[in-house]
Amino acid sequence: MTFLALTALQTALLAALTAGTIIALYFLKLRHRRVVISSSILWKRVLDERQSHSLWEKLRRIISIAIAITIALLIALALARPEIESLTGKNERVVIVLDSSPTMNTQTAGGRTRWQHALEAAEGLLATGGPTTEFRVIDTAGSTASAFTTDRNEVRRLLEEMTPKTADPHFPKVDATGSQIYFVSDGVTLHTTPSSVKRISVYEPAENVGITAFEIRSIPSTPLGYEAYLEIQNFGRPAEVGVVLSGTGGQRINRTVRLETEQIYKDVFDLSQFSGGGVRATIQSKDDALGLDDVAFAYLPIKRKTRTLLVTRGNQFLETLLKLDGYVDLTVVDPAGYRESPTIDAYIFDRFAPPSPPARPALIIGTPAAPWLKPVTGDVRKPEIATWSEKHPVMQYVSVHDVSIERASRIDPSGLTVIAASKQTPLIVASEKPKWVMLTFDLQSSDFPFHVGFPVFIENVLTWFSREQLALKRSPGIVDVPLAESQIRTIDGTVVPSTQQLGQTLFETRQPGLYSATQGDQRIHVAVNLANPTFSDVNRSVFKTDRTAATQNYWLRRELWFYMLAAAAVLITIEWFTYHRRMTL
Amino acid sequence: MSTANANITLFDDEFLKKLEYLNIISKRLFAGQLRAERRTRRRGAGLEFADYRQYVAGDDFRYLDWKAYLRLNRLILKLFEEEEDLPIYFFVDSSQSMNYGQPTKLDYARRVAAALCYIGLANLDRVNVISFADGVKTELPPQRGKGRIFKIFRMLTDITPSGETDARTSFKTYCTETRRRGLAVVISDFFDSHGFEAALDILRHFRHDIFVVHIASHEEIDPALRGELLLVDAENNATREITITPSLLTAYKAEYAKYCEAVESYCGKYQLGYVRTTTDFPFEELVLKVFRQGRFLK
Repeated sequence: MTFLALTALQTALLAALTAGTIIALYFLKLRHRRVVISSSILWKRVLDERQSHSLWEKLRRIISIAIAITIALLIALALARPEIESLTGKNERVVIVLDSSPTMNTQTAGGRTRWQHALEAAEGLLATGGPTTEFRVIDTAGSTASAFTTDRNEVRRLLEEMTPKTADPHFPKVDATGSQIYFVSDGVTLHTTPSSVKRISVYEPAENVGITAFEIRSIPSTPLGYEAYLEIQNFGRPAEVGVVLSGTGGQRINRTVRLETEQIYKDVFDLSQFSGGGVRATIQSKDDALGLDDVAFAYLPIKRKTRTLLVTRGNQFLETLLKLDGYVDLTVVDPAGYRESPTIDAYIFDRFAPPSPPARPALIIGTPAAPWLKPVTGDVRKPEIATWSEKHPVMQYVSVHDVSIERASRIDPSGLTVIAASKQTPLIVASEKPKWVMLTFDLQSSDFPFHVGFPVFIENVLTWFSREQLALKRSPGIVDVPLAESQIRTIDGTVVPSTQQLGQTLFETRQPGLYSATQGDQRIHVAVNLANPTFSDVNRSVFKTDRTAATQNYWLRRELWFYMLAAAAVLITIEWFTYHRRMTL
Repeated sequence: MSTANANITLFDDEFLKKLEYLNIISKRLFAGQLRAERRTRRRGAGLEFADYRQYVAGDDFRYLDWKAYLRLNRLILKLFEEEEDLPIYFFVDSSQSMNYGQPTKLDYARRVAAALCYIGLANLDRVNVISFADGVKTELPPQRGKGRIFKIFRMLTDITPSGETDARTSFKTYCTETRRRGLAVVISDFFDSHGFEAALDILRHFRHDIFVVHIASHEEIDPALRGELLLVDAENNATREITITPSLLTAYKAEYAKYCEAVESYCGKYQLGYVRTTTDFPFEELVLKVFRQGRFLK
């Protein structure tokens, strides 16, 4: 036996002092009250008869003092926090892995979520073990991983701060040597765990219909035409599902569909009647247990003509194309007549560049000489497009693999974003600040204007310059926005705390929503949606049939002082009962 | 406890008037010394006719039955029962154990003795009052006539409780002196370590008609004792440490009842008059009803 609060010597002294005090107090207690009676004849007869026949009478005093000393010693030694290895499990290490998948937000029949049940189970584990038992808490999202500590309160604080995440869950790598690992989970997203792990189930079957996909996409054949794609799946019993698409302008589309178990509903919605802004898709079904996937957001760009100034000595292809574009308000001037205007949204410089960069974005065709542009270092004949970035906004739906170019200029691409390039020189480059896109070849020395992707390319460039873009798609959790130093706001204008990291703005959200990141004139919309069938299928649990998932019997392994105080309380009760009935002294 | 004016509080005038109608009954006939209202075996100048006998010289010829002489021509003398006084001895226990209870047993005993003395005096009996403990403490010479009651009151009020009870020695001391047999009234709690039977045996041996008044205190019958106590015997100051438990109290009560029953059984066995009372029992009711029901008074 060891003592955590006192040394062995201190404990012995405490025990001796306690016992001595109790004995002294006991004899003080036994100073009898003096009472004069008329005659002791009858009392003497009674007492002589009883004492001669009762062993209890002889032992009563000894038993009474033994009980009193036992009670005092139990309390005194409890203060010393004794520990017996065989009873309290010394040096035990417990790792609690909490499944922080979004499915843990699923409500159970009792109205609480699986996550709350998981926290309760973790709390139960904390109540086990001895005083030196070390605990560690880890989640499956990789966002929480505490060190081993004996401070249960610290672990509890950590548990309070933890929430389910939307990051792809994975079972953490934990050194199981000398540790007992408990995995508290609903068994939906993580099906396999190491064999040494004891699993604690918080799974309960639940009804759920979830949005598994929602996005607004442009219609390539229609400039500034958009449609919404919605995908819903039923992961519970057959249900009637109400579907509502609503826009910020008050537009609304209602549908009601009946979905059988595991049935997927897919639909495309025409948004031509919607004005620009946020679009929300919501579904409603009976007894739905997971609200995270019942709503999804997207952003519909606002339709507005781009006031475009084409500066050219004459370019039939461009002029024709831009005049035919219903969303372009075109003005054509020759280089001599160029004047920068605040009413212009975008410039197109055809083999011309002003001496200073314009305040608005510009598409530069050819490699005109200007101080703010890269100087030409040579020519490349018949360059072949070797690489291009399909992810860049200006290249969306554009294929340039078979574009032929007669001649291109060679420039230094440092500091620029190369969108398309041959092995010898970049062919399409872009600059973020000032914002411009440059083709290092002349359209008239290329067949690019004859390709079907050329109008789309021009449309993409103008969109990237000044038109609003579709929202970025993200999942709840830590959201990254590729716009440095930007301010994040919710759809109703509330500022969301954010941090900067590697030129990106990061913010955290647990709920689906539509956010906007603004930095100067730049604005990016971010649609945060769960939209993941893996997370919506809340009944795909291994615990349906896995009988190894069992909760533990905790309370028997509390610290020893707890049982000592409990025993003292019981003895005090017995002593109180017997004392008042004069069984003990 | 006794007080100087205890005679005032012993009982009031109205109660005294009621007492005058009472008469102490003795089961036996004792020879008295003075004429009184009590029958004796002695033939004499009483009013109650007893018998005839032949006249002999020297007889008082006033008692000759002249009608019988005329019919029988013989001198026949009429005999009458002599009416004499009754010697009554009141033995009042004044040991320290009687100084217990509220009111004390001694106070109660004083009042009982005083009442009975008054009844005896009113009937021209010879009343003796003796207080005893471990011996005869005080003794009042025989009193006769109601006028002596105040002397008895004074004697009773002057009794102070002290000493250990030894009734046997006390009675033996008193009875071995030349005394007339009579009615012995013993007023006591009978807490006698030497045994009450031996004491009463002495009185029986001297052929007294015995009447026992057993006085108990409510505090003795149902003591309100709890916890750790040091019991001190009032008579001999003997101490005893004790823990009062409910079972112990029950055992004590049973023992007390058994003790009282033993006293009563003894009295029943030898046909002694016995009345047991407690100090909280109304005194007048005791005298006017209980004693009469017990055929001690008429």
